[in-house]
Amino acid sequence: MNRESNAFIIFFSTVMVVVVGISLALIAQVTKPNFIKNQRLEKMQNILSSVNIQVSPSEAETAYKKYITGSVVYKMDGTLVEGVDAFEQVDLAKELKKTEDQQYFPLYECVKEDGKYFIIPMRGKGLWDAIWGYVAIKDDAVTIAGAVFDHKGETPGLGAEIAKAPFQEQFPNKKIVDASGTFTGIEVAKAGKHPAGYDHGVDGISGGTITSNGVNDMLMKYLKSFRNYIEKNNVLQPVTQEPKVEELSDDILSSDSTTVIAE
Amino acid sequence: MSIENTTATLAKKEKEALFSAKRRKLITDPLNDNNPVTVQVLGICSALAITVQVKPSLFMFGGVLFVVTMGNVIVSLIRNLIPSRVRIIAQLVIVASLVIIVDLLLKAYAYDMSKQLSVFVGLIITNCIVMGRLEAFAMGNKWWPSLLDGVGNALGYGLILVLVASVREIFGSGTWLGFQVIPQPVYDLGYVNNGLMILPPMALIVVGLIIWIQRAKNTKLIEAN
Amino acid sequence: MELVNIFVKSIFVENMIFAYFLGMCSYLAVSKKVKTALGLGTAVIFVLGFTVPINYILENYLLKEGALKWLSPEFASVDLSFLSFLMFIAVVAAFVQLVEMAVEKFSPSLYASLGIFLPLIAVNCSILGGALFMQQRDYPSLAHATVFGLGSGVGWMLAIVFIAAIREKIRYSHIPAPLRGLGIAFILTGLMGIAFMSFMGIKL
Repeated sequence: MNRESNAFIIFFSTVMVVVVGISLALIAQVTKPNFIKNQRLEKMQNILSSVNIQVSPSEAETAYKKYITGSVVYKMDGTLVEGVDAFEQVDLAKELKKTEDQQYFPLYECVKEDGKYFIIPMRGKGLWDAIWGYVAIKDDAVTIAGAVFDHKGETPGLGAEIAKAPFQEQFPNKKIVDASGTFTGIEVAKAGKHPAGYDHGVDGISGGTITSNGVNDMLMKYLKSFRNYIEKNNVLQPVTQEPKVEELSDDILSSDSTTVIAE
Repeated sequence: MSIENTTATLAKKEKEALFSAKRRKLITDPLNDNNPVTVQVLGICSALAITVQVKPSLFMFGGVLFVVTMGNVIVSLIRNLIPSRVRIIAQLVIVASLVIIVDLLLKAYAYDMSKQLSVFVGLIITNCIVMGRLEAFAMGNKWWPSLLDGVGNALGYGLILVLVASVREIFGSGTWLGFQVIPQPVYDLGYVNNGLMILPPMALIVVGLIIWIQRAKNTKLIEAN
Repeated sequence: MELVNIFVKSIFVENMIFAYFLGMCSYLAVSKKVKTALGLGTAVIFVLGFTVPINYILENYLLKEGALKWLSPEFASVDLSFLSFLMFIAVVAAFVQLVEMAVEKFSPSLYASLGIFLPLIAVNCSILGGALFMQQRDYPSLAHATVFGLGSGVGWMLAIVFIAAIREKIRYSHIPAPLRGLGIAFILTGLMGIAFMSFMGIKL
């Protein structure tokens, strides 16, 4: 056949598209479960790291099941949202696109050898792009146990310092409520504004003002909604919701892959 | 293809060993005299941004090796079927599909790496080395030489990549492939890592210096003014 | 405000050349004269300004998980994003081809000045890079994506015009022979990149 004829070109293109389409779809199907699993493990790792549990991806699943004992979802004013799973169904990046009163706020509960913690995932805007973090609060729902932050594209050496230890190490033992029970949050302010030993604020990054303000706004919003939830639902006792991780992992198991989760 | 032609190529095949001098040149040439990056100025686009550390550049090299070799082999095998009017599109489709495969595999089996390489995996598609080799070599050669040519060019590319990454990682972070190479006592004496090395522009300057050294040794590459 | 932010950021801070080295091949090859550099730069702005929004529409109404919902709710779980590389590069190649044909037919004078650069652009990494960054950053609206595409194009043009101006001058300088041409162009770009990094401190 003349390979420069229109008929052949059309035939050739069709065959090419079909072959490429089928093979790519096949490979995408085969690799997808692993990809999803990687994303889940990463999220688990991040949650655990806020309570200072550092695990490798392969241990994340077991550690997550061991330490994270429950999760809830609530709204800004603290109203509980039923039937939504914090881990599987709430993606903060997507929540931020809704108006504030429509947004869902997830919360995890963690039991470690030395006590019980609440873990608040949060996300906001820095100077250039998204910033996010996890803040762990002790079971008095007032004292911060630890905080980790990360960012997508803040300026190295300035805003990007929020992801480094010197900034994050200021957080443990700060309090988000003052002695009279009023919400204070954690104010991120210029170094020197707060007196030494001030309980409700940390020093921002000098030169990274907009990023620091972003962290401040993010902290205020998520900590406030956390307090609203605590007060509205009288949760001085532990959250009593079964973790849903197990049943969901069963779903994935039954879908098509046997390698997803080693039980 | 006529019978004459086939017998002629068969005869040639018998004469030419699998790694004859000429074929060895297909691999060694791109390493120096005809290096795709420093001499032909191809394929730097997608590469330099990930040379802060050695590990991602090794993965990038692996990706390019796979794409350029497989692409060369596939195109060379079907080169007599591809209508010349749509050949660029056909090559593009083959390259893009191979890159998608690399991307999917990275996401599934080397998730950390795939996050670090981010969009630069996708940019292998427009890596001029790949398209350049398909068009210039694989369209006119049999699969075995095409394979060697692909491996050679990927090696030439990887060599520069790893060199740049080594310089930047050793001086910028004091490590190589994640291992500490600058010992602690040196730091105690007051040595500090050179933060400038981590910044993107240093990749360009390091490549410039590599070109300088290479051309000082290999004077026939010097450009006329 | 946000749009201005994206625009300024994509020109200066996340410059395609100085921060990501995208489009280096044509950047180094076509930067010997300011005039040609200007022509190629304009073509890049034009193509980026159109392909990024086109790809944005494709990404959000065809490829993304749940993007096909507008067709029928049944397709809500279809995820075609693994095809995105293929779609993006096809859009770029087809668009460049179309523009080239249109320009050649309707405006021969424009074709003479801009048209010769169009084929070069289909394989310019900055074009595909624009589409991939758009996908990765997940811009909230078409306007954001368009502004990002235009800004990246302007940044790219600035870079290539600057280097071309410098290269025109340094032809009369004494440069060590092995460094002539390519070598010095790399080092110059690096130095310009360092200068551009000072824009990182910009506050809007």
